[in-house]
Formats: sequence, C-alpha cells, structure tokens
Amino acid sequence: MKQVIVNPEKCVGCMQCMLACAVAHAKSESLFAAVQETPKPRPRVHVGAGLFNQGFPNRCRHCDPAPCQLACLTGAIFRDAATHTVFINPDRCINCASCAMACPYGVLRFHEDTAAPPGKTVAVKCDNCDARVARGKIPACVEVCKTGALIYDEMGHALDQKTRQVARTMSSDAAAQGLPDTVALYNTLKQATVKAGTAIRR
Amino acid sequence: MKHLIVGNGIAGINAAKAIREMDTTAAIVMVSDETFPPYSRPMISYVLEGSEPHEKLPLFAGNVYEDLNITPVLGNRVAQLDAKKKIVRLENGADIEFETLLIASGADARHIRVPGSELGNIFTMRTQKDVLDQLKAVSQGVENALVLGGGLVGFKAAHALLKRGIKVTMLITSPYPLAMQVDETAGKMILRELEDHGLTVKVGVSVTAFDGDATVENARLDSGETLDCDLVIVGKGVDPSLRFIEQNDIQTGYGILVDKYLCSSIPNIYAAGDAAETFDIARQTRWINAIWPEAAIQGRIAGFNMSGRKVSCPGSLGRNVMRIYGLDVMTMGLANPENTDNFEIIQAGGEKTGAYRRLVFHGDILAGAVLINQIEQGGMLRAMIENRVPVRIPRSCLMSLDFNYSQLL
Repeated sequence: MKQVIVNPEKCVGCMQCMLACAVAHAKSESLFAAVQETPKPRPRVHVGAGLFNQGFPNRCRHCDPAPCQLACLTGAIFRDAATHTVFINPDRCINCASCAMACPYGVLRFHEDTAAPPGKTVAVKCDNCDARVARGKIPACVEVCKTGALIYDEMGHALDQKTRQVARTMSSDAAAQGLPDTVALYNTLKQATVKAGTAIRR
Repeated sequence: MKHLIVGNGIAGINAAKAIREMDTTAAIVMVSDETFPPYSRPMISYVLEGSEPHEKLPLFAGNVYEDLNITPVLGNRVAQLDAKKKIVRLENGADIEFETLLIASGADARHIRVPGSELGNIFTMRTQKDVLDQLKAVSQGVENALVLGGGLVGFKAAHALLKRGIKVTMLITSPYPLAMQVDETAGKMILRELEDHGLTVKVGVSVTAFDGDATVENARLDSGETLDCDLVIVGKGVDPSLRFIEQNDIQTGYGILVDKYLCSSIPNIYAAGDAAETFDIARQTRWINAIWPEAAIQGRIAGFNMSGRKVSCPGSLGRNVMRIYGLDVMTMGLANPENTDNFEIIQAGGEKTGAYRRLVFHGDILAGAVLINQIEQGGMLRAMIENRVPVRIPRSCLMSLDFNYSQLL
C-alpha cells in the first residue's frame, strides 16, 4: 500500500503543499473558488521552520497506536482498517482539544470545516486525501511537491531508495548526497545566512 | 484463563479490548455498579451545558459486551475482595472467582456533610445519572446555582450552568479557580473570563448548612452570609473506590500501589485508572493522576499484562485541556510547584496579550507547562515532559510559536 513519505531534508519551505491541501479539502476543490468559500478551507499539513530556517512539512503520521485516538473523549478518532488512516468523525468530535494534548507532533487544528456540521468547530487533521485516492488520484501535497520532500510510495521501496542514498554518501564522491544540487545549495545558503545573522548580532 | 475486571469505565473497557486482541477465548467478566453502556465520562459536562445530547455519551455503537464477548455483571458493587482465595464478593452476596483481576473501580465523588446536605437538588457530578438528575432539576426551573469547589469538576459545572443562563456562585478556598492545575497568572485570566460571563466567585468561605423544604433553598456560609440557591453542585474532589479492599491485603497508598506493569503487590491483581497509584513522571514520585487519557492507556497496558504480554507503563502525567469561552487552557505536569527553589520558570504573555505560556524546568528537563490560547504545540511539550527530553537549546526557543522538535536535535 502506498503512503505519503516525508523527506524533510528536501523541503525548501515553499508551502505549496499547504495551499494544495487546503484546496483539496475545499468544497469546490479549485483554488479560485476555494478562496471565496465559507468556511475558509484550511491546510492539514503545516510547514514549519527549523533552526536554520529550513522547511519542515509537518503532517499527521497516522501513528499506530495513535495517541490522539487513545486520548479522544468521545471515540470520534478511529482507524480505517483498510488504509490504516486515522480519521476524525466530525459529528462525534466535541472540540475538547484532548487530541492536541496527546499528539506529539502538533498536527491538530480546530476550526469549522466543510466536512463538519455547519457552524461547528471540530478537530481537523490529515486524512491521507482519502477522497482523492478513492478517485485514483494521489494525495494533493505529494502531487504539488516539486522537490521530492513529499512522495507517495510503498514504504519498502522508499526504504530501499533511502538505503541506496545513504550508501552513496559513503562512496568517495561525497557530493552525491542524494539532494538535487539546487536544493543542497539553497539549504547551504540558508544556513550561512542564519549563521551570519547570528554572528552579526553577537 | 478467567479475567475479572472491576469497573466498566475506559480503563476497564480498554483492558478488555487488549485482552481480546491477545486472546479470543479467555473468559472476561466485568462488574460495574453503573448499568448505562460504557460512556465518555468527561463528556457529561457537555451534556449539562447542552452542547451535546445525552444520547451521544455511549462510546460504542453496538453492544460492546457482546462484541468483545464479555460477561457483564451490572448494577452491583464489589463488597469484598479475597485476594488469597481469588474471589470477589458482590453487594448482592454473589461470589465471582478469577485467575487475574483488574481493579479499575475508578473513584467516587466526595459528598459534603453539613446539616441539610441530604436535601433535594444537591448533587455531585461524576456519572451520567448525576447529570440527568441535574438536568431534571434545571428543567423545573433553576435561577441561582451554587458550585462548591474551584477544581476541575466545580469549574466545569459552573461553566456549563452559566452557558444555560443560570446565575452561578462559586465558593472556593484558593484565591482563583483551578489552583491545583494552573499558576496565579493563568488562574486570574480564567477567573476574569468566567466573571465576564456572569460568574460570582467567593473566596475563602465554606457552607455550614443548607435550608429548604424538600429541595435546597439557601445555603448558610461560615462568613454569616446566606445565599439563595435552588441547585447545588458539589465539586470537592474524588476518592478512589477501594472500600472492598481489606487493609494489609494489597499495598495501598492513596490508591493501589502498582509496579511498572501495573501489577499490585499481589501477582495477578492489577490496577489501572483513578484507583491506581502510579509513578508521576513530572513529579518523580508516586501519584494518582485521575484523568481520562491515563485511565485509557493504563487500562490497555494492564490488559496486555493480564493476558501475558509484558508491557511496561512509563508512568503517568497529569494534564488537562479546557475551553472556557474565549480561552483555550492547557496545563500539564508540574505546572505550579509549591517550592520553586529547584525550578526555573519562564513565562510570557498574560491578560493583556490574550495568550500566555509558562514553562517549568527542573534542570534541563521540562517538568510542567501552562498554555492559554495558541495551544497547538501542547502535545509536543507534553511529549517532552513525558519522555524527559533534555533541553540544550535556549529555553526561550520553546516559548516561540515556531518551535518544532527538530530544533532540539
């Protein structure tokens, strides 16, 4: 079974996944119509900044066992046996935020949503784009990611790729670190900028 | 194998589920005094408030006892445990034998004992029945409610009654509500928010007597004052339900002392949830953390151990989250240590900014936190407390809304 896999070292922090996610969860599923919608469509993936301003696409890991599911007061959070996706039933959710307190990754948000009863604030997080996948599409965040920070793959295959990538860094040509040159350069520049900034402040 | 589970709360139910995951044929008997299907206890305040209907309380759509092949024995309390003979005697005299026992009997609300406390419309708030009784009283018309205690239950009851448009007076001994959970700055923010929505708070007074005919009509206070009230909710805390345990039979502190496998001093007798005294990770000492998520995970761990799969429980951590009108309040661990000598406390924000964050460090380990609004990172902080992750970056980084875990690596 394919799943979304994150390669954080490849993230440049462009936030296109956030936009694509919000659009994918809009009633219209179109950017131009989505901005007009009420409730305002919001992303389930959140790009944060690391110590050197490198991007990090933070999304639900669909943990097993899922701490949010164990902490849910109403049984609103459940796992779909077929896809292993952890879902939140918006009709059962009482917006108590117990899941936010349980989630070690900070992926829960609370707002109105097209999937929820109108006017009701509920807990919202990644649903692995189940609606898109059912239609034969891939998750929106992966579709839009340009750098390979988010991929949709079999876990076994992705791990093989990673092993190969790590092996390559061991060879004498250490430049082959698996990052596209442009991304590596971009990351180096960002680090240098932050370090220089720190030096100046000192 | 015959498992007996005392209590059908979330600890008991999760234990039964875990046992079933491991063993499809073992006999599971579950005893409870509550006959209502297993339900979400923390949700009862939402029912009192009116934001969720009573029908939504049950946790399972079908009959969970049938689905998990549990033999339920409901409407009965356990009267006595004979740990040596491995027998539990019920209040109706029936005996149940067991090979392994889980004590997930939970806790009972403390009642107030003053003249008149047996009058009608004086309630505790612990079970779905309590809330049904309260709602019945409310439907007959309640104007002035009195809430005793500013802890979690008192506060939830007051919040719910205010939302119903009832005038609420809260009597508390500490200078602000939730003093066990939050520090003064956060407590005052919460107090202010409640007062802005009509709550009257009286500090440092207690009730000496209630007057009324059949139902309560007023409360006399030790200050000499008399308050009109037609509904009283007592939120004076809970005590573990352990009356069926003979002293010296099983090692107990305030609750049943358990090891990291949640086993009591007697092999094959386990305890989980509000009745179990576990190791508190933030306090680094034995403690009962009588909260739903702890009961849920402890029940699951106990169930695995009962069915022979050794799973250890890293300890427990007190934590709470509540939404109070415009405030989202999250508190975890040792948020307000009494003696601050060995702690470093950083805090920012407050009433003026509308958001507040307080972090309590013990050495380079995060021991507690209070967040008011902007609570999304709460789970990360909770995980840091629970895993005792050393913080070797400037502590101010954790105060930032941009904080993410990779900064610690």
